Amino acid sequence: MTPLLEAEHLGRELAGDPPVPLVVDASLTIGPGTFATIVGPSGCGKSSLLYLLGLLDRPTAGALRLSGSEVSDLDGDTRARIRLRYFGFIFQFHFLLPEFSARENVMLPIRRLGALSLSEARDRADQLLGAMGLADKVTKTPDRLSGGERQRVAIARALANDPALVLGDEPTGNLDSGNSARVVEILQMLAHEQKRAVICVTHDPRIAAASDLRIEMLDGRVTGQTRPQPSL
Amino acid sequence: MHLLGRRRQTLVAISGVAVGVGFFLAVSSLMVGSQRDFVDTLVNAAPHIIISDEIRSPPTQPGLRTFAGAVALHGLKVRNEARGIRGWQQIVTAAQQTPGAIVAPSLTGAVTLRLSGREQPLSLVGVDPALEAKISTIEQNLRVGHLHDLDTTQGGVIVGEDLARRLGLGMGDVVTATSAGGGSRTLRVVGLFKRGRGQLGGSSGYVLLREAQSALGRPFIINTIGVKLPDPYAAERVAARLERRFGYKAQSWQERSADFLSLLLTRNVIMYSVVSAILLVASFGIYTAVSTSVADKRRDIAILRSMGLSEGDLQLVFVLEGLALAVVGILLGWGLGQGLMAILGSLRFPIAGDTQHLPLDRSPLQYAIAAGASLLAGIVAAWLPARKAARVDPVDILRGAA
Repeated sequence: MTPLLEAEHLGRELAGDPPVPLVVDASLTIGPGTFATIVGPSGCGKSSLLYLLGLLDRPTAGALRLSGSEVSDLDGDTRARIRLRYFGFIFQFHFLLPEFSARENVMLPIRRLGALSLSEARDRADQLLGAMGLADKVTKTPDRLSGGERQRVAIARALANDPALVLGDEPTGNLDSGNSARVVEILQMLAHEQKRAVICVTHDPRIAAASDLRIEMLDGRVTGQTRPQPSL
Repeated sequence: MHLLGRRRQTLVAISGVAVGVGFFLAVSSLMVGSQRDFVDTLVNAAPHIIISDEIRSPPTQPGLRTFAGAVALHGLKVRNEARGIRGWQQIVTAAQQTPGAIVAPSLTGAVTLRLSGREQPLSLVGVDPALEAKISTIEQNLRVGHLHDLDTTQGGVIVGEDLARRLGLGMGDVVTATSAGGGSRTLRVVGLFKRGRGQLGGSSGYVLLREAQSALGRPFIINTIGVKLPDPYAAERVAARLERRFGYKAQSWQERSADFLSLLLTRNVIMYSVVSAILLVASFGIYTAVSTSVADKRRDIAILRSMGLSEGDLQLVFVLEGLALAVVGILLGWGLGQGLMAILGSLRFPIAGDTQHLPLDRSPLQYAIAAGASLLAGIVAAWLPARKAARVDPVDILRGAA
């Protein structure tokens, strides 16, 4: 069976003299239903690897396959289209558009994909926000929401187009422990119940402990992949 | 999609466009209006084509016609024939073949007016009042009297009010006109031209055609044919055709006013350069506003890109933002322009005893041109920073923010 996402000897250098390596020779495969974390000290290339896996950045070496198709050499518009359809991103900061309500923020990628009508898109946004426990906050703008609520709106937005992969860059980095625990639960649920592939860059040992696959990095290299025992 | 982040910049951009559009409207309506007024005066004050009994080049000498090798004689004196257009009836018939053309033959000649010892040269113009009223604006330029009064008054004449004043003439007064040939007639003033009306001048007197023919001692002779065409811009072509066919000089209004027309062209070039500069400067405001907005929204751009919006989508967003500024500015500018035009239109100028308004052209075309030019400038001004914004690598921004 073809893996959902497969990286082979993936590398990324910043042009320069000498070139600065960000990611070196990273190989990994991730299937649906997996909650993976990328861990390591600051500046080890975790985020760079995540951007490569999420088609935000282009590798300078190696191959990246999505459901068996090479995606690293596609043009920008095609990659944008793939991100829209198959990927959901969650960042440390919520990055919600401040002028729009929670509902409109979630509707934005749905409308851009264009598969749903306006009212269907609104229903889907409300349903996603409801699943995040925000049913009564859909019309609020980000500045009227708490930090945890904003991050959950951001998760709802990441799920807008029912992506096969959800990528998180320190998704709990800015949250208190209560809200962090709630986000971790949600991420686990996305992987285990909704059978999505979830990949998170994190410093938070609790997230790493909750994941199915822990990818350890040091100086741009993947130094180990371990599968912690689920601690139930 | 993007709301307007920075109030002040937005305000500057919008008011820049509004002022640009407003002044564009005011200036161009005035320029176009005055030009139309001017051309109307040029075109309609006199017949579109004037055929006179002159010829542009001397006729071929009989000797040259007969003998191929003959040498032209210089200083040749041609016997002075009674000048006039020979076969003018044919020319009238030919000119009338253009559908809608009105043709008015007339005779012009010099006489001297004498009144109680004072003398005044006068160019006596003999016309058919009914036809003349149709081909020129004489009727509208009469201070007192009507052109058709010539028909009803024996020896009636219409002269300029300045001339009348110089001679101390009033309505109904009688004056003696003496022609170079020695004939003399008694004329009665039945109308006065307003002063300062171009070609009518201060030294023309209109009488009936047969009155002029007899006063000048040139019965049945015509030396000017005026033609008015339904399409004034056909005048050049028709004039050339008539001149080629009959040999008499046929001057179109374009030829008569070539210097004015070239002046108008220069004026238009100047006007459009100035108002384009206004609109261009106005679009700088949009450029600044969109640039600032782009700088403010770098994180939003990054997140939208990561979500899967393409470069084109983001360009569109910012171009639309600039366009929104331009549209609001244009609408306000239309209002401002109308206000300015209302002010200009309400001004009154006493010129030559008449109260005159500024001629304004309020046609929708002006609004459309102003809007079109501003939209175009706005799109370009927004597109430049938008393109830059869309090209930003989201990874760079995400790295910086995280």
